[in-house]
Amino acid sequence: MADDKDVLRDVWFGRIPTCFTLNPDEITEREAEPYYLLLPRVSYLPLVTDKVKKHFHKVMKAEDVEEMWFEYEGTPLKWHYPIGVLFDLHASNTVLPWSITVHFKSFPDRDLLHCPSNSIIEAHFMSSIKEADALKHKSQVVNDMQKKDHKQLWMGLQNDKFDQFWAMNRKLMEYPTEEGGFRYIPFRIYQALSERLFIQKLFRPVSPEGNTHTLGDLLKEMYPDALTNDGEQKRYQVLIHGIEPLLETPLQWLSEHLSHPDNFLHICAIPVPTD
Amino acid sequence: QSLSLSMTPTQTAAWRKQIFEQLSERSKRELDNFKHYEQAVEQSVWVKKGAM
Repeated sequence: MADDKDVLRDVWFGRIPTCFTLNPDEITEREAEPYYLLLPRVSYLPLVTDKVKKHFHKVMKAEDVEEMWFEYEGTPLKWHYPIGVLFDLHASNTVLPWSITVHFKSFPDRDLLHCPSNSIIEAHFMSSIKEADALKHKSQVVNDMQKKDHKQLWMGLQNDKFDQFWAMNRKLMEYPTEEGGFRYIPFRIYQALSERLFIQKLFRPVSPEGNTHTLGDLLKEMYPDALTNDGEQKRYQVLIHGIEPLLETPLQWLSEHLSHPDNFLHICAIPVPTD
Repeated sequence: QSLSLSMTPTQTAAWRKQIFEQLSERSKRELDNFKHYEQAVEQSVWVKKGAM
């Protein structure tokens, strides 16, 4: 039987095959061919799309190029969400490759944050890690790390170096055995087709009576609509990294093994396709 | 450290097995037909160049 450590590798090396197509309204000097890439699920769009930018810049004049942004079927894609979350939330039941439209003008300021450089992604990523550690360990682990340790986490993600990242990240996953888990589980529940961005509240991995909390316990408290009563037809798929863990899966285990590199467990609740 | 210490192997088997199986299915679905695609992040290799 596979080892739990294999799950960490599977999560890290998850890839979404993607076809990038230039928005037809962009001004080009010649026809822009689509560009195909395998995108890491755990990374961020602007961090892994340099090749896409270069590819389309070749057919455009410099004066027609503004900040690059991405759209899927009319929805601007938030670069500060991990790529896998964007895919699960917006496109999980569509045919692969994932078809993303690339824009170089009319930046949708109301929907997206600007991302002028990778240092903005780094700041966002590190602030998520710090927030997660505040929930898990009252910030004790991240505050005990040195600047170079923080850099190691970031460089590991940026350069797709699993071993480099996990050599440091394992410290953020430790907890006192007698407590049975983290103080609180860093999680976010995203709902497709909702104006509300995501649900994030305090939730412990173990009940006051000492019982292990499961994914089902979390959903019951945070998003009961996602659960199905006996005899009811399933209305929602609950996806983490593109898979549907059983509701009895312990939350602490999920937090340790299926969190994104930002140390949050990102959970997507998607309406079951009706057709 | 693992939470599963407090649970029996039969109790843990179903959910854990299901995660392994689904990750394997995900890999088939999202990767098997697309292995010829370029990786977004190249795995760089250090090459030592001599000065001579």
